[in-house]
Amino acid sequence: MRRAVPGWVLGVAGAVYAFLHLPVLIIVVFSFNDSKFSADWVGFTLEWYRRLFERPDLLRGLRLSLLVGGISTVVAAVFGTLLALALSRGRRRRGARSLAEGLLYVPVVTPEVVVGVSLLMVFAVAGIPLGIGSITIAHIAFNISFVAIVVLARLEGMDRTLEEAAMVLGADELTAFRRITVPQLWPAILAGGLLAFTMSFDDYVITSFVAGAGSSTLPIVVYGMVRRTVEPSVNAISTLILVVTAVLIFVADRLAQARPPAGRVG
Amino acid sequence: MTGSPRRVLLEWLHRRPGIGTGVLAAPAGLWLVAFFLVPLLVMAAYSWMPRGIYGGVEAGITAEHYRRFFEPLYLRILGRTLLWAVGATAICLALGYPVAYAIARSGRWRRWLLFLVILPFWTSFLVRTFALIFLLRDTGLLNGWLLRLGLAAEPVPLLYTPFAVMVGLVHGYLPLMVLPIYASLEKLDPALLEAAEVLGARPWARFRRVVLPLSRPGVIAGCLLVFVPSLGAYLTPDLLGGAKQVMVGNLVQSQFATARNWPFGAAVSFVLMALVLVAVLVFLRARDRAGAEG
Amino acid sequence: MRPADGLPALARALSHGRISRRAFVRRATALGAGLSTIGTLLAACRPRADAPPPDAPLGPLESRLNIYNWSDYIADDTVRNFEREFGVEVRYDTYESNEDLLARLQAGATGYDLVVPTGYAIEVLRATDLLAPLHREHLPNWGNLAPLFQDSVFDPGSAYSVPWQWGTTGIAYRTDLVPEPPAGWGVFHDRRYARRMTQMDDPRDVIGAWLRYRGHSINSTDRPALQSARDDALVAKRLLKAYVSAPVKAQLIVGDVWIAQLWNGDTVQAQAEQPALAYVLPQEGSTIWADYLVIPRSAPHKRAAHEFMNYALRPEVAAAVSRFTGYGTPNVAAAGMLDRPVPYPTAGELGRLEYQHDLGAATALWDQTWTEIKSG
Repeated sequence: MRRAVPGWVLGVAGAVYAFLHLPVLIIVVFSFNDSKFSADWVGFTLEWYRRLFERPDLLRGLRLSLLVGGISTVVAAVFGTLLALALSRGRRRRGARSLAEGLLYVPVVTPEVVVGVSLLMVFAVAGIPLGIGSITIAHIAFNISFVAIVVLARLEGMDRTLEEAAMVLGADELTAFRRITVPQLWPAILAGGLLAFTMSFDDYVITSFVAGAGSSTLPIVVYGMVRRTVEPSVNAISTLILVVTAVLIFVADRLAQARPPAGRVG
Repeated sequence: MTGSPRRVLLEWLHRRPGIGTGVLAAPAGLWLVAFFLVPLLVMAAYSWMPRGIYGGVEAGITAEHYRRFFEPLYLRILGRTLLWAVGATAICLALGYPVAYAIARSGRWRRWLLFLVILPFWTSFLVRTFALIFLLRDTGLLNGWLLRLGLAAEPVPLLYTPFAVMVGLVHGYLPLMVLPIYASLEKLDPALLEAAEVLGARPWARFRRVVLPLSRPGVIAGCLLVFVPSLGAYLTPDLLGGAKQVMVGNLVQSQFATARNWPFGAAVSFVLMALVLVAVLVFLRARDRAGAEG
Repeated sequence: MRPADGLPALARALSHGRISRRAFVRRATALGAGLSTIGTLLAACRPRADAPPPDAPLGPLESRLNIYNWSDYIADDTVRNFEREFGVEVRYDTYESNEDLLARLQAGATGYDLVVPTGYAIEVLRATDLLAPLHREHLPNWGNLAPLFQDSVFDPGSAYSVPWQWGTTGIAYRTDLVPEPPAGWGVFHDRRYARRMTQMDDPRDVIGAWLRYRGHSINSTDRPALQSARDDALVAKRLLKAYVSAPVKAQLIVGDVWIAQLWNGDTVQAQAEQPALAYVLPQEGSTIWADYLVIPRSAPHKRAAHEFMNYALRPEVAAAVSRFTGYGTPNVAAAGMLDRPVPYPTAGELGRLEYQHDLGAATALWDQTWTEIKSG
């Protein structure tokens, strides 16, 4: 039997949804507004999008962000999945295992300023030049945790009887892993990877500390634009970033449905 | 393929299970040690060293940076940051609980409503912050409506105020409050509520006595997820506060930019880290206790 | 001087010289020349082997150049024209303050070939041995500079720097929204303009302004003077909309901001989109400054950097830059090509203008004051 939700609760919920979504919807709408400064709707135009293509720094920033995001996601996905497997399957004392799992959360709760600042110090001491490489290293570091946490959660909840059945039927560990475990784990790996890519693509704070010459990623360029221009080009680039993120989520969702073929066992 | 190399490898792994685990964990473990743990240690070392004249450090050990942090000026910044974080958490709780409750009772729409709550989380934080700037500017949309509706004679200063920073914090972290509360409400057995109703409790009492205590783990988790990032907030006070509101995160950044005082920045970072870890421990303890009682 | 290298090298210098840390600090601040010597010693002790000795002759022209400049501080096509003529690919990044630049260079950002510090920042860079000396033989256009700019107090003999632009710091305001022109820094205490004013997000400029307000030097390290400057700044802060530097142009154009502490050239740039803007030098006095092109010691493309410097010294290039930025050009021939060159200040104005100098050990005191202002 369903209880009715009190009217005021629905009202608050509705207001909250509006609060969460309206600001973003508004800048999307105004990215097509044919007026440089006015907050009133004047007419439709694609001028601000056109202007984006005249900015080499933006295009370069987009390329760099995709590059750094791609590399760091792939590396973090591999490392993070392996780590999750080790934590879940490894034979260790209870205490050590829960300590390791707890430590896994530390990169996630550490404030970005602290992560950025400490990495800057280590790069300075070790003489590692600041640039694309240093940014990628930093992104891999914080993304490993995200992937590992997501994959670990899936592993803990996973049914191992299929694997055991496969091994009873004659498959060795590696085959069982490849044919049984990975397909089941695949959606979690994708979810962790998507989370990692989004974190990397969107990162401003950590990147701003460890970036060097000519390594301005998209968020760094956009940050400069947000502070400086009032013209709707910022609305346009914001909308494009939203579209890219939405496409990514969609693609990841599709990939998660299409699991790698399980094939026959043995 | 059942060739020998594979068999040999597997048999070897069988005999030493620890190595298998070690190999799996090694890449991630090494990376995290090198690029997470070691930096924190380096930062610790820096925070005990005296500052060079032009920035950088000199040889030596000094506690002056930690001592300096306990001067009234910096304690005030810390106190203000704590107030911001508590305020943001309280507002998110007040706004987020009804949302989570509504979603939990929504039946058919549940998936969509959840998706709509999660969606802002996937949206770039920078973009969301810019959206608020666009709205709150003197010549922005909100002031435009206020003027048009005659509610104000001239633009109300909304941006670059403490109000704007709070709006930014709440806007940024509200989804993180809703999701855990929803998760714990979802597990709620309707039978309990029915039993309460049968036994004669009125709606508000039912809520207070049954729903609220059982959702406490979710509430605590949600508070943690809002409080901790708010402590370390940097972009929000920077962009929405007009560089006039200094939170601990901004203080750290300024030591590495304007002030070129790395050791002091390192010391402040450590205090921030310590606060965060204390908060996490406190919240986790409270959550486990609440979970046990439920 | 990178932070890590200070540690072993300074320990050695301290133990060999048997000077106490306090004495070292005093000596270092007193002797500019002494600092360069010590800096060179420390640099020699550095374990880095990859940086070639600064006096090495330049190799052939490289195919790439990384420039790190202030935002809105070059003409639209300067870089593109240079790329086309010399076949060099240029990466162009921007910053908003000298502190940003100094922080980046000290953090070990080694990829920049050309940076554009203000005079006092050059003092810091020289003292920390972060600059590569220039090879004048690759700068045949040097003679285009006005004699006044061929030498500078920040870089005696111009061994490291080529002047880029010069200007003043003052007050920009909307002539249509502000009834009478601001007379001086006191306008930031005027309640009529509450929340319509901004000051720059820069300790030297803000504290400097309030020091001049009370008749002190912008380079003062006197504690009571700094405290009164802090108090004045805090009174103003109640009425300010924000602390913002170059990005305030957009807000002046739109009308979010009516009165802003800003440089003269940036005001000219904003005037292009908003004619109702004017610039005034405060009566209590303000800052005159000059920015210079310099090459960091770790620059990977020094030859290309020299070519760009020489290119920038061409009259038509320098004129194009000044036409866009609105600032004064140190290039005599270029000044002749401009319709409205920024006139060098009159004697009367010069009396009210000061150059900023590095504060040395007093930097910490200024930092404290700035933090007090920002968080008060």
